[in-house]
Amino acid sequence: MAFLPDESRSLPPPPLLNKGSMWLGFAGWMTALIDNAFNQRPIFRAGIHRQILLATLGCFVGYQLVKRTEYMHAKVDRELFEYIRHHPVDFNSSTG
Amino acid sequence: MAAGLRAVRRWRLVAAAAPSLAFTRSAFVVRQPNNAQPNWLGVGLAFGTSAAVWGLLVKQHNEDVMEYERRKQARGHKCTECS
Repeated sequence: MAFLPDESRSLPPPPLLNKGSMWLGFAGWMTALIDNAFNQRPIFRAGIHRQILLATLGCFVGYQLVKRTEYMHAKVDRELFEYIRHHPVDFNSSTG
Repeated sequence: MAAGLRAVRRWRLVAAAAPSLAFTRSAFVVRQPNNAQPNWLGVGLAFGTSAAVWGLLVKQHNEDVMEYERRKQARGHKCTECS
């Protein structure tokens, strides 16, 4: 299956800065900071271009992954509701 | 297993000998990184790539929003059971 099938575009797109993209952007930034530490450079003030680049790439990858996650969840929900619709007998009485 | 133990001992020596846990590599193979002079090509490429990726991300997000709105209009809320 493709990473993002065409029907995933029927879903509302997640906000640009969501949990996934923020977290991976933060992880990319941390990677740049750790690279500074291992190469004995000043941690925050060195390699600003590296920090920005890795944070950007993290945000980008995070956004794509969140879109795919939402698509997978929506697909499972749709199949679940379809099953409930096709088997009303099993779900009619909520008492038991 | 003996090779693994030797490797562990070597790492412990490296960590103990170096002032901090810095990566040490042979001077015959790698150049000394000169952190005093900026690598302007690298800096330019990094900033340029960052700007391009942000532009791509924002453009893709706007396209996604427009495509979703378009499909919502086209569908006209046919399915009322799922949200």
